[in-house]
Amino acid sequence: MKKIDFTLNGKQTILDVEDNETLLHALREKLDIKSVKEGCSIGECGACTVLIDNEPHYSCLTLASKVSGHDVKTVEFLGDENLLHPLQEAFITYGAVQCGYCTPGMLLAAYSLLLKNEHPTDTDIKEAISGNLCRCTGYIQIVEAIRNAAGLCKCNS
Amino acid sequence: MLPDFASVIPESKEDALAYLSSLKSAKIFAGGTDLLVKMRRGESYSHIVDITGIHDLKVISDHDEMINIGALSTHYEISVNQIISEKALSLAQACGWVGSPAIRNMGTIGGNLVNASPAADSLAPLLIHDADVVLESKDGTRRMRLEDFILAPYKTDIQPHEILTFITIKGLPGYREGYKRVTKRAAWAISRLSIAWAIQEKGGFYKDVKLAIGSCTPMPFRPRKVEDSLKDRAKDEKTIQVAVGEIIDEIIKVSGMRPSFVYKIPVVKALLEDILKG
Repeated sequence: MKKIDFTLNGKQTILDVEDNETLLHALREKLDIKSVKEGCSIGECGACTVLIDNEPHYSCLTLASKVSGHDVKTVEFLGDENLLHPLQEAFITYGAVQCGYCTPGMLLAAYSLLLKNEHPTDTDIKEAISGNLCRCTGYIQIVEAIRNAAGLCKCNS
Repeated sequence: MLPDFASVIPESKEDALAYLSSLKSAKIFAGGTDLLVKMRRGESYSHIVDITGIHDLKVISDHDEMINIGALSTHYEISVNQIISEKALSLAQACGWVGSPAIRNMGTIGGNLVNASPAADSLAPLLIHDADVVLESKDGTRRMRLEDFILAPYKTDIQPHEILTFITIKGLPGYREGYKRVTKRAAWAISRLSIAWAIQEKGGFYKDVKLAIGSCTPMPFRPRKVEDSLKDRAKDEKTIQVAVGEIIDEIIKVSGMRPSFVYKIPVVKALLEDILKG
């Protein structure tokens, strides 16, 4: 058992975790953050993507004990049903959501990109979401949504 | 769920080495991108020594032409590091192709070498930079050539109480250098074939040629005999054809005729010709 002290979506969070517990498990089962999905469990699909210090990481291959002292963000950081983030609005507008399983991870990968690059090219966008698999949309709508959101949000302010 | 284990998270190299020398069946945990996958498939260890808190092992520095790469440097960190981009461009490029953005943020170069996949993107660039690995245990430090460290696919010479702490490479500033790979799709793919090169030319002559070819032989290799024979040779069509022919012969000699060679050999040939022509 380890006590971890980290920032989750802007809030200081202290939690007891097992030594062999993944961050994915801790977020879903102990902190009730169900937006972080378990897909492949082996770091290939990206459904479990979270941002650690604003960079995408697969929470299925991250031990919860490793995030002590770090900043962790899930899609809840971006917005809620009352006030969606421009990226979330754009995903709706451009039809970038179908089954929705990849969407939280996809949004976080996109958000991380826009923090570093306010005007990404389509190649930059494709590169940034290359570790997040979507089996519904064919990606076209997702790339369009991110491209169109890029001009609208000041992610790093 | 992962198999049960107890973990320790040392903050210094000395503490980590002390834990390793006293624990039985302890496994070093770095990025976790290979280890946790193996553990999900049933590999188990009673103890994990998570070394990612050791800041000294994340540093990349240079002194004269030698570059010291902390084994905990992530693929992403290496891909954007200024020293690496200036003096070992092929390594920066190769690390920028590993896995996906999340894998590059998590996986470390030390872990990549200890895992010793023959398709690891970092191997060919490290070979042309004459990489050494530094292995430390409580009993001392030893240094060996990367080529000797990797014994076979997925098998290295690391001993149970050792940590791979640093990788040292020789910088090649001023060389024409790069890394190319062939994959089944553009991104998030494992290399089917890769080539790293660093070439120095002067007045239409090759002065120094370093090549490493990955995923054609059991381990990436340098065709050193051909490299030597190119020294001070005129850079012309005939020289290139002869050199490429000899490299292909060597690949077939090492690997035998593999079914995949119907595709791979013509591709290696075309890539090598392009690279040597520059």
